[in-house]
Amino acid sequence: MGNILEVENLNIQFRLDEKYYTAVQDVSFSIREGETLGLVGESGCGKSVTSLSIMRLLQPPTQISGQIRYQGKNLLDLPEKQMRSIRGNEISMIFQEPMTSLNPVHRIGTQISESLILHKDLSGKQARQETIRLLQSVGIPRPEQIVDEFPHQLSGGMRQRVMIAIAMACKPQLLIADEPTTALDVTIQAQILDLMRKVARENRTSILLITHDLGVVAEMCDRVAVMYAGRIVEEGPVRQIFRNPQHPYTQGLLASLPKVDGPRTRLQPIEGNVPSLKNMPQGCRFAPRCRRAMDVCRQRDADFHLVEDAHRVRCWLHAE
Amino acid sequence: MAEALLQVEDLKKYFPIRRGVFQRTVGHVRAVDGISFTVQKGETLGVVGESGCGKSTMGRSILRLIEPTSGVVNFEGRNIVRLRKGQMQAMRRQMQLVFQDPYASLNPRFSIAQTLMEPMIIHNLYGSREERLDRVRRLLERVGLDADYARRYPHEFSGGQRQRIGIARALAVDPKLIILDEPVAALDVSVQSQVLNLLEDLQEELGLTYIFIAHDLSVVRHISDRILVLYLGRMMELVEAEELFADPLHPYTQALLSAVPVPDPDAKRERIILQGDLPSPANPPSGCPFHTRCPVAKPVCRERAPQWKEIKPKHYVACHAYA
Repeated sequence: MGNILEVENLNIQFRLDEKYYTAVQDVSFSIREGETLGLVGESGCGKSVTSLSIMRLLQPPTQISGQIRYQGKNLLDLPEKQMRSIRGNEISMIFQEPMTSLNPVHRIGTQISESLILHKDLSGKQARQETIRLLQSVGIPRPEQIVDEFPHQLSGGMRQRVMIAIAMACKPQLLIADEPTTALDVTIQAQILDLMRKVARENRTSILLITHDLGVVAEMCDRVAVMYAGRIVEEGPVRQIFRNPQHPYTQGLLASLPKVDGPRTRLQPIEGNVPSLKNMPQGCRFAPRCRRAMDVCRQRDADFHLVEDAHRVRCWLHAE
Repeated sequence: MAEALLQVEDLKKYFPIRRGVFQRTVGHVRAVDGISFTVQKGETLGVVGESGCGKSTMGRSILRLIEPTSGVVNFEGRNIVRLRKGQMQAMRRQMQLVFQDPYASLNPRFSIAQTLMEPMIIHNLYGSREERLDRVRRLLERVGLDADYARRYPHEFSGGQRQRIGIARALAVDPKLIILDEPVAALDVSVQSQVLNLLEDLQEELGLTYIFIAHDLSVVRHISDRILVLYLGRMMELVEAEELFADPLHPYTQALLSAVPVPDPDAKRERIILQGDLPSPANPPSGCPFHTRCPVAKPVCRERAPQWKEIKPKHYVACHAYA
């Protein structure tokens, strides 16, 4: 199985008040064919920005460096015209808010068939047929009628199904899902996660799943990358991350969650707050909140160290 | 020993739907449709349900921040639904609300001191400004913030800190009951547990009673003594927290619990995926409101609403399957 996407040394800087601040620093990861990679972290950790940079949806004055290789091509070097033939066709995206990402003045059908006509050269009539089939495949009842309705006529769960239909229309190689179920109720979330798994399996689509919900990660992902304050701090197969977390931040996150079974014990929070972009600590960015921080942590950030096969952690505790 | 602090009987809140030039009432949204429960002193009652189940409306109706359509709310034996405006205002000192959104619920133009002193001024507590300021400083320390933050403004704080300020504001008037409406939903995971621990500490120290409204089931299980499950404005199940997760009886509760993603990749669970969407509370299904999505619905479920029954000791369910 080859890698469908390789991100290498990605750096993203935002300009705020005439100064540049680093939102994503030295991020590298890859996604294999048919694999689901989870990118987890709290607000401001850079997970959404990373996903937008893959789609090249970040505008100047944002500065991006590094490489984002999709099937060997560095997306950051592609002319916009070629990028457009990839976007929505080979790589597509679903967002958190299905209401704000659908166009309220266009019919559902038009929004789905748009990419079919653009990328797949279908005629209007063929595209409509295919659109109805897509709506059916994402579990929308009465697709022949819904195709002519507007987004406001649908519920939140139905709108997210439409978003998935749009994203899957051209059978992409890679689907980027940015908090796809965060705005949904838990019973609807179960439906949507189930649907994402099904369509990805049928089309052999790889998924980059961005979420803050460790439960969703455990359920959906093959591998996980944990981000904190713009950097990946730990990465590995999902079972190892949950069974044998090595970074104090990953350990802290898992320990702070209330459980749905077993005895109820006092929660173990991570003290302090997530640092802001303008106030990044020196050295390891987690050091000010880390119970096991040493002097070296406050001076220099650690490199990655291999824990086990394919499981690596960026922490001085693991340095030889 | 156990003493009822709050007793809610058949609480209803219908919002009229108005249409046309003359704004005639053409129907009602039955946001809360007959809810009854008792909360003991020092207890935490968790209230769970999905959007539109009426959990927030219920919280606000109990405090009469919106007027209930009918029903009884006894606070320490007094029916507060009957109280006149002035009496009700005095009563609110006993019962406070903490909101979900720590960004929207603090006035950006008020310093933290002003925010925390306002309820003291309204309720005429503490004689002088100095005493109030002193109280503000103690409150801030009590919720784990620096006393000097009193002079700052909301924009200088993170979400977790703002929620601590929201809790301090509720505590400012020494209430007996605090209704917490999704108090940790907007917070990051690592901060959420800090706030939950704070709420537990405050409860123990001050003998507070909580109604904890949330959609996150693991959070509710953690903090609650008993849990009430709502669906479309009606009560589905009510039981002690661990029992609800160990032995859920209502098909809706079973589906809800099975839908929660568990942070354990090896968890093998039988998942019940409900078909269809939540019906609109403006047009709720006949009989049991859950019958349109219920995997075990029978004809009778469409015709009659099930009775609220004690199926096991202190385990209440409204479902025809247990009739």
